[in-house]
Amino acid sequence: MTAQQDFEPKIIGFLCNWCSYAGADKAGGMQEPYPPNVQVIRVMCSGRVDPQFVLSALVNGADGVIILACHPGDCHYKEGNCRALQRHGMLNLMLEQLGVEKERCRLDYVSAGEGDKFNRVIAEMVETVRMLGPLLLPSDNCSEDCAAIP
Amino acid sequence: MKIGIYFCNCGSNIADKISAEAVRDTAPSFPDHPYVKTVDFICSEDGKLQFEESLKSEQPDRVVVAACSPRDHEATFRRCLTNAGMNPYLMQMVNIREQIAWVTEDPAVATEKAIRAIRGAVFRVRLQEPLEKKQLEVCPDALVIGAGPAGMKAALSLAEAGRAVVLVERTPFIGGLPVRFEELFPALECAPCMLEPLMGELLHGDNAGKIELMTMAELVEVTGFYGNFIAKIRQKPRHVSLHECIGCGECVEACPAATMNEFNSNASERRAIDFAFAGVLPNAPFLMEEICVRSKGEECRACKDACPMGEDVINLEEVETVVERRVGTIILATGAGLYDASRVAGMGKGTLRDVYDALQFERMLSSTGPTGGEIVTAAGTPPASVAIIHCVGSLDDAHKPYCSGICCQYAFKFNHMITAKLPEASITHYHRELVMPGKDAHTLFSHAVKNKNSFLKRYDDIRDLAVTQDVSGRLLVSVSGEAAPADMVILCPAVVPAEGAGTLSAMLDVSRDSSGFFRELHGRMDASQSTIKGVYLAGSCQEPMDIRTAMLEGMASVGHTLAGLQPGRTIEIEPITAEVDETRCAGCRLCMSVCPYRAISLNTAHNTSSVNSVLCHGCGTCVTACPAGAIKGHHFTNEQIMAEIEGVLK
Repeated sequence: MTAQQDFEPKIIGFLCNWCSYAGADKAGGMQEPYPPNVQVIRVMCSGRVDPQFVLSALVNGADGVIILACHPGDCHYKEGNCRALQRHGMLNLMLEQLGVEKERCRLDYVSAGEGDKFNRVIAEMVETVRMLGPLLLPSDNCSEDCAAIP
Repeated sequence: MKIGIYFCNCGSNIADKISAEAVRDTAPSFPDHPYVKTVDFICSEDGKLQFEESLKSEQPDRVVVAACSPRDHEATFRRCLTNAGMNPYLMQMVNIREQIAWVTEDPAVATEKAIRAIRGAVFRVRLQEPLEKKQLEVCPDALVIGAGPAGMKAALSLAEAGRAVVLVERTPFIGGLPVRFEELFPALECAPCMLEPLMGELLHGDNAGKIELMTMAELVEVTGFYGNFIAKIRQKPRHVSLHECIGCGECVEACPAATMNEFNSNASERRAIDFAFAGVLPNAPFLMEEICVRSKGEECRACKDACPMGEDVINLEEVETVVERRVGTIILATGAGLYDASRVAGMGKGTLRDVYDALQFERMLSSTGPTGGEIVTAAGTPPASVAIIHCVGSLDDAHKPYCSGICCQYAFKFNHMITAKLPEASITHYHRELVMPGKDAHTLFSHAVKNKNSFLKRYDDIRDLAVTQDVSGRLLVSVSGEAAPADMVILCPAVVPAEGAGTLSAMLDVSRDSSGFFRELHGRMDASQSTIKGVYLAGSCQEPMDIRTAMLEGMASVGHTLAGLQPGRTIEIEPITAEVDETRCAGCRLCMSVCPYRAISLNTAHNTSSVNSVLCHGCGTCVTACPAGAIKGHHFTNEQIMAEIEGVLK
């Protein structure tokens, strides 16, 4: 597969308030540019990220979703990031069954001090989704027969 | 609905990369056609004034502030809304500085990204609801569990600040472990003398009236939450009135029944009615019902007859009671004990004579202990050679993985005290790591190093070490097969949480770590707060520590109580919490299992969950977990977040 150079993926990033969002602010303070493709949505805890938010993002036109959490053991709410990890595993299974590459939904950990890691993770995610190309949902690519099934 | 977008230029920080004109041109296409105002520095005094004046004149229903990170100024702009007569939760911030302007090279791309983010905020803010902080009446008083150094310091300091304190102690006396010691590291201070003023103040000082001391008592149930706990405390019968007893000991002389004294490591006898040890405070004996001859059906009132203070001091009929107290905070200061050294193979503990653990040896050194402070072997002779084995069960994955922190220091204290009493005795320290941090700890170590009769022998693994007995009955300590005789062996076992920590943990839902110590809310930032709001940790129930640190922790827990709960003042409860819609809740309790703060309980009458907003931290994990969608996460509702997703992607 080759990168589709003219394709600019749209990605939604769910960032927990205490570590990852602060990590993104830290990256901002460093003023090192990174790809602009990720629109950030702030949640208090990665444990608040409902699988339906991810699906909603994909249905509404996102080509990928990245969930960033506190490092294991560092969750501001003790274990919300563990819940996020469990739900992410479940989501991956579901996305694969729906024919969506699981790489389109990434979970990673960025602490408040890791501005450089935030930068790197965002760049990697954008590149991954760029390689995968635009997300085609079943309604976009299935045959007319298939679409006709009620 | 009228929506106002306030765009901060942040001087050139934002304006250089993001075009306010483009935002103004695009905004009319957003729902409800928001107006756009540009401010140069909205967080400056002028900027805030301009913002507030504009809010007052425009009277928008919802506000979007596109500026810096909400982590910087969300609170600032919420206050501006309040000043302008608006509910502060009707604003959404967009972070166009840290997360767009500063990190996007191309101004056109930055502007497009900012417009998306602002559109998302407009979509979201339309669904935001006015929220109110709740006020809650609280009880400013405290319950302290454990009357060792940390608990006593906490109780007395709270009383000095005018708070009522219930101080619950499981043993019949106060002072914890160190009151049973003769001298303390690093300065060889007399332990009871050092603690005496504190204990005296606590029992009879100017503020003693504020402290309800309950010895031989334990917590049995706690309901409620921060600010409003109801604690049930079981008071076991002492059979001696603390208020009337003068501590003369006449009853002890008269008592016909005896047993071994656990407070002297079972190395001496006590009567059924007796003091825990000489000089104990409160200065009153206690009756062990199970030892008293009356428990065997005999009629006996020898103690009562011997009491010079009258009929009412000793009450043989006294029974256990359970009392209830209302408090605002709970301070856990339940202390520590020693790991059972008999569980470490090859140490001879429990099987060989003259092998003692550190607590047993502390009592032997103590003038109030079983030998009156004489260092003697079981045969009654002073030892010519003593072996002190460090790290028994500490730094050992087979037992306790952590360093117990205090053992090296008391081991060298032992060295000093043995040398003082038996100058000719040879002392060998079998050690692994030597840990003596701080400015004072080296002194006792240096003394040992300079002492011609003291020796240090390092071992790598405690499994290379063995304590055995030769045919003559003399102890031998061997390291990797090389044996040296010893007349007495002192073991320094790992420091472990005191008995009962597990019961308290279950009762209060306070988490413990893998070693059984109470877990901190945050190891560095909130080390004296437990994982449950309003329950604080002080002293070695949290981790092994010395008296100095325990006292400081006691004060830290007092600080939390004084700062958090003030008489006549309510506490403010943040409205960003979860709330259960009872009509949709099926009572599956999934939310209860994911809540890290025990903030959710089941209303058994309706079989529905409900969230206690005092305890809820607003993480939203339960909102996501609820399979019925019955829980609303205020200010982060599903609808608000979904609208934001739709808005940024449109």
